[in-house]
Amino acid sequence: MMSTNEDTVSDLFHVYINARFEIKKHVSRRRLALVVVLATLLPIVFYAIPPLFDEDYPDTANEFASRNLLFISTFVVISAAMFAGDSVVTEFEKRTGLSLFSTPQRRTSIFAGKYIAALLATWLAVACYYLVTALEIGQIYGFGEISLGFAKSFLISLLYASAAVSFCYFFSCLLKKSITAMLAGFFVLMMILPIVSQVLNIADVDPWFILTYNGSLITDVLGILSGSAMESVSSFSPDFYVGVAVVVAYGIVFFYMALFLANRKAMEG
Amino acid sequence: MDVIKTENLVKCYSKNVRVLDGISLSIKKGEIVGYLGPNGSGKTTTIKILTNLLYPTSGHAFINGLDVNENPKESLKAVGALVEIPGIYDYLTPREMLTYFGRIYGMERGKIDERIRETLKSVRLADKERTKIGAFSTGMQRRLAIAKAILHEPEILILDEPVIGLDPKGIKEVRELLREFQKGGMTIFLSSHLLQEVGDTCDSVIFLDKARVVAHDTVHNIRSKAGGKSIIVRFTNPLSETEAKKIETVAGVKGVSVKNGSVQIGYDGSPDTSYQILSDLMKAGHHIVSYTPEVVSLEDFYISVMSDERGVS
Repeated sequence: MMSTNEDTVSDLFHVYINARFEIKKHVSRRRLALVVVLATLLPIVFYAIPPLFDEDYPDTANEFASRNLLFISTFVVISAAMFAGDSVVTEFEKRTGLSLFSTPQRRTSIFAGKYIAALLATWLAVACYYLVTALEIGQIYGFGEISLGFAKSFLISLLYASAAVSFCYFFSCLLKKSITAMLAGFFVLMMILPIVSQVLNIADVDPWFILTYNGSLITDVLGILSGSAMESVSSFSPDFYVGVAVVVAYGIVFFYMALFLANRKAMEG
Repeated sequence: MDVIKTENLVKCYSKNVRVLDGISLSIKKGEIVGYLGPNGSGKTTTIKILTNLLYPTSGHAFINGLDVNENPKESLKAVGALVEIPGIYDYLTPREMLTYFGRIYGMERGKIDERIRETLKSVRLADKERTKIGAFSTGMQRRLAIAKAILHEPEILILDEPVIGLDPKGIKEVRELLREFQKGGMTIFLSSHLLQEVGDTCDSVIFLDKARVVAHDTVHNIRSKAGGKSIIVRFTNPLSETEAKKIETVAGVKGVSVKNGSVQIGYDGSPDTSYQILSDLMKAGHHIVSYTPEVVSLEDFYISVMSDERGVS
């Protein structure tokens, strides 16, 4: 029998092996390449459009960054849905779990590995997006213009990505069909929560507890008002610390709920 | 020591659906045991509990004395399993898939490479090591699943319908593989619908019906108990009814009938009586071409056991 320490070490080793295997699967399915290409192309579009239409770039680097990052939360949700949305449910739906779950490892190691892989893949995509944007800022305004706000925005994006991955992962553990799980995570984050947030706004209730509402911190920390139609009807804006706490809470709570559900799933039928 | 053991396994999916009803079985090291029963009798459920794919409602499943559901990490190290028809990672190659499983079983990289080559060769997939699994036929996928089960050279092999989807050549190869594994001391527990295969491959069989074990014995004992109690004899020249009747006077013969040119002789089923009858027929000057004591197949026994369970006469 193994000692507790050896047991923990072997569990962690299994988490590592599972995470590596999942990333290998994301690479083989070309999902990682697709998302990284998207993460590179989107900021390039914002960089290329002004010269094409004979327009000037914004006056400041933060304004440019704020414009570039308009779609970052959408992009994060797409990535999270692609990497986490079907990672658990597919093992049951396609019956690959019959080989996977009969191996000598804890199920928690398998599910934690899958989560970490989805998280790392999404973080990589977000990092690419910010890297290209930073290079563009450097080219247009000089690298010295990259602000602390930009760095904060990057960190908040990573936190937001963690929460989005947990959220999509939760649906992957809850539902029985891969496509339903992916779409559920995507649509709840892209439509349902923003609608709930807007309804609460109209009812003059601060939607501080809604994940997507706090997603606007990503651009808020740059100190530029984006002035989107959705926000123009908003009478509230998220508080930085409360917002960060809510995003972190979503990440942790949904991850543990997902683990709980995944461990209870059985290879029936 | 029993390497596989279950104690009063019960599995219920709801109040009214009891898939296993107190299954207790034990399998000794080095045995090949067949697990037989009609669809829905609980074979796959037992195997899923033994491989930690399902948790029992009550009772315990042990591998090498360790409770599988409480300690899957330790107990399943010794097990190679093939359960139902597992899905495949069609976007991976056999090498990529097997490398992952090798790492999970704690094998060293060099050993994994060596075993991947060996196992793929043994299941006739040596030239497909780097081909995407999605391009494989059903039979090839099945063989790859067997390769995965034996990759880490397990002490115990648990196979659920291992030859489904295989062509006759593949079935023969699996049978030979199983025999080879047994020579190496491996314990094999396999469920199958192919009774002929089980009869040819296994040392003993467990019959399951309506969620309960209804018989557990060696293949030899089952065949003896069921009793092949007749002998089919062929002569150079087919005997007439009158000539055949004369055989009834031979000691130990309990009845004679002529069928399609051969004679069916009834006797008590013992090998000594069979030998005595043969000797007497030779002494009487009969030209015998073949002398075959009837072998009761597992199919016959299976049908009789299941009929008894259902009260069918």
